[in-house]
Amino acid sequence: MTRYLLRRLNLFLATSLVLILVLFVATSRFPVEHKFALTGIHSPTPEQVAQITADYRLDEGNLSQFTAYLQQRLSGNLGVSATSNQPVFDELVQVLPASFELAGVAAILALLCGIPLGVLASLSKNKITQHSIMAITLTGYSIPVFWLGLTLSLWFGVELGWLPISGQINLLYEIEPVTGFLLIDTLLSDSQYRMSAFTDAVLHIILPAITLAVLPFTVVVRITRTAMLSIMEETYIKAAAARGLQTSKIVIRHALPNALIPVLKNMGLMLGAFSSYAMVVEVIFAWPGVGAWLVSGIYQRDYTVIQGGILSVALIIIFLSILIEVMHTAINPISRKEMYATS
Amino acid sequence: MKVLQKRLPLGLALCISTLQLLGCDQQKLPSGIVYCSEGNPESFNPQLVTSGTTVDATSQQIYDGLVNYNAASGVVEPALATRWNISDDGLTYTFDLRTNVNFHHSDNFTPSRQFNADDVLFSFNRIIDEGHPYHFVSKTGYPFFQSIGFSQLIDDIEKVSDHQVAFHLSRPDASFLANLATGFAVILSAEYAQQLSQQDQQDELDRLAIGTGPFKLVQYVKNDFIRYHRNEHYWQAQPDAERLVFDITPKSTSRLAKLITSDCNVSALPKAGEIPVILDKEALEVDSLPGFNVAFWAFNTERIPFNDVRVRRALAHAVDRENILRAVYQKTAVAATGMLPPPSWAYNANDSMIDYNPQKAKDLLAQAGITELSIDIWAMPVARIYNPNAHKTAELIQADLANINVKANIVSYDWSVFNQKLSSRSYDSVLIGWNADNSDPDNFFTPILSCKSVEYNSNRSRWCDSQFDALLQQAKSITDKPQRTALYQQAELYLAEQVPVLPFAHATRLVFKQKKVNNSKLTPFGGISFNHSSQKPANMSTQP
Repeated sequence: MTRYLLRRLNLFLATSLVLILVLFVATSRFPVEHKFALTGIHSPTPEQVAQITADYRLDEGNLSQFTAYLQQRLSGNLGVSATSNQPVFDELVQVLPASFELAGVAAILALLCGIPLGVLASLSKNKITQHSIMAITLTGYSIPVFWLGLTLSLWFGVELGWLPISGQINLLYEIEPVTGFLLIDTLLSDSQYRMSAFTDAVLHIILPAITLAVLPFTVVVRITRTAMLSIMEETYIKAAAARGLQTSKIVIRHALPNALIPVLKNMGLMLGAFSSYAMVVEVIFAWPGVGAWLVSGIYQRDYTVIQGGILSVALIIIFLSILIEVMHTAINPISRKEMYATS
Repeated sequence: MKVLQKRLPLGLALCISTLQLLGCDQQKLPSGIVYCSEGNPESFNPQLVTSGTTVDATSQQIYDGLVNYNAASGVVEPALATRWNISDDGLTYTFDLRTNVNFHHSDNFTPSRQFNADDVLFSFNRIIDEGHPYHFVSKTGYPFFQSIGFSQLIDDIEKVSDHQVAFHLSRPDASFLANLATGFAVILSAEYAQQLSQQDQQDELDRLAIGTGPFKLVQYVKNDFIRYHRNEHYWQAQPDAERLVFDITPKSTSRLAKLITSDCNVSALPKAGEIPVILDKEALEVDSLPGFNVAFWAFNTERIPFNDVRVRRALAHAVDRENILRAVYQKTAVAATGMLPPPSWAYNANDSMIDYNPQKAKDLLAQAGITELSIDIWAMPVARIYNPNAHKTAELIQADLANINVKANIVSYDWSVFNQKLSSRSYDSVLIGWNADNSDPDNFFTPILSCKSVEYNSNRSRWCDSQFDALLQQAKSITDKPQRTALYQQAELYLAEQVPVLPFAHATRLVFKQKKVNNSKLTPFGGISFNHSSQKPANMSTQP
């Protein structure tokens, strides 16, 4: 197991290194002054120029420059944003929680609705139920997210006026950031408007979360269904049924845990698509997360923000997909066996 | 299996009903106003900028000036100065200052004294005196003051007593009081500056602003919001709204959507095409005010071929400005015959001196010996008071120019980049405009068309003409209105001959707002004031 973990760790480091190398090369190709692209400082004073040259070892060879770049970026020095003059790292810390919150709620929504529906689809003997569930998921899978987001906000926001369609909360509520997750922070705050602020935050997250949840939801339904169908044919299920166990008990205790293993694996594969969807959703619903921040950085030619955004988003994706793979291996008895066989 | 199938719908129903409960819950909101603004302010000190976005977010909310404009009557009225005296030769202005005025208390600053003459001296000396410790704290200079030649105008500012200051001018200037009444001439706290110097944090003066205005700055998150609280020590009647939030929303459609879903109460700079939507909704209304502004197309006269007046005239004759008014402004603007808008007292309702005549344009180009011409038109990426949609305007001009065989490329960047690039002077022509800061007609000429303004990059045509400058100077040195009117008309004529800029519209100022918000006050010279605004009690339900 240790060897396996070390190999995964190695994979993580190697991929990250390649990523940073790509960023390093791209940075020197940006159509602006190299020092500006590295630090975001517009017109540096002579002392700053000397400092930058020393920090990034600009007067040395490429390899040395790359190590310096690596050192700076890994120690959290992402430069300052050219438009706000704030350190990019601080801005990143401000926007990341909002993205995690949205992604988390969307993922929970997708799993909570997707798994039961997938099970239902696999168990149902009724052709109409089966087909309609499959039809719905296929439709959901093929709807472009930007269209869905706009349509939902047009209907539920503008036409019906039921739900707010942009931002995280009505800005009149002042919420002290404690965890950075607004849903938790509203509950933690001691203001007299605590509950209504929480309600408002919940109302604000509904539409973006639903929009973002549609894609993973459809995938979860389909994978759960396929997995359940094959597992329900297994002999141990039949044996359990023959022993007279209730169907619900069979499904929940014996079939579902095994059916969820492929779901987990697919969630890892979906991460990339999911995060790019999240960016689109953030822009549509003006959600103050890392995606909206990165996109506005691109519009404003804020090169340090672009680097910082790409670096963090990519690192998170790499880390999470490797984490999911490790979890998958740890849970899945079959791959555990394979692992021991090969090591 | 049956059990499971039965339980599922039940669970779903439970889920939905919880959500509905949450939704039906009576919403309790803190008292306050949310204003959807169009962009990030560049600074929190309007002395340093000319952009309307910054003035909106600062001048009327955080600060006060010595004198103020009464928007209704158009006269200068007392603010932090209670009275003023002008000496007979017009060279000395003596202001009596208001007593019992408090500066904001903030987390990092607690004023120990009230407003006095030192603050006035500090605020203006910072601008005019290059030896002042705070003069070069501003990286962007003081564009408005530099463009009107403020430091040359003021010989000396004298502290007569703690509550009296005298401005000694080097020459009589009829626009001096009007310039003091602009949103740029705000009063800062000298004590705060002193404290920051001791802490070696001079930059904070323009970022964590301290003023005497109705609201104090609490928090600013770029691209997201600006938060203000009511100034509990305000020298006038306290503002009704406890909180004021500027929700920064660059897209006009998003601002409209937020207004409809009640995420904001007042929304800035709408597009004309959105008015029917507002008229449809019962809870919303349109606020408008004849604009003190002008939208124009400026030619960079430092570049070939725009240094040739025949080329400029040709391009001007080629543009169908009626068409722009129809398509871009949709009846929310009046056609511009010159720089001055109809509400100005020096305005004269004469016909435009440049007519739409493509044939004449072709002839002029031929005279100039130009056969093939390709130009760039820079279009602002954001809505401005004077032009809600510069990109569309550019497209119309592009089509018009195609008729006279001139090829036009439309160039656009994000607003902050756009501004930086404009200062680098590398453009051919740009669609931009000017929103007046005060009612003096001079404001439409000196800050944007004088030689001085070329130096400070507020003259977008980069056109410097000594004859024109002399004319402006002459008009400023007298106070007789009919005489001044005649001189400004002369200036308009001269501009129509030289066409460094082609004015096309004076836009009406519009905001969309919820009907339950009362007393948000548009000011004609840019800026919006929420001093007396509040939301009516909640029984005016927010139901759409």
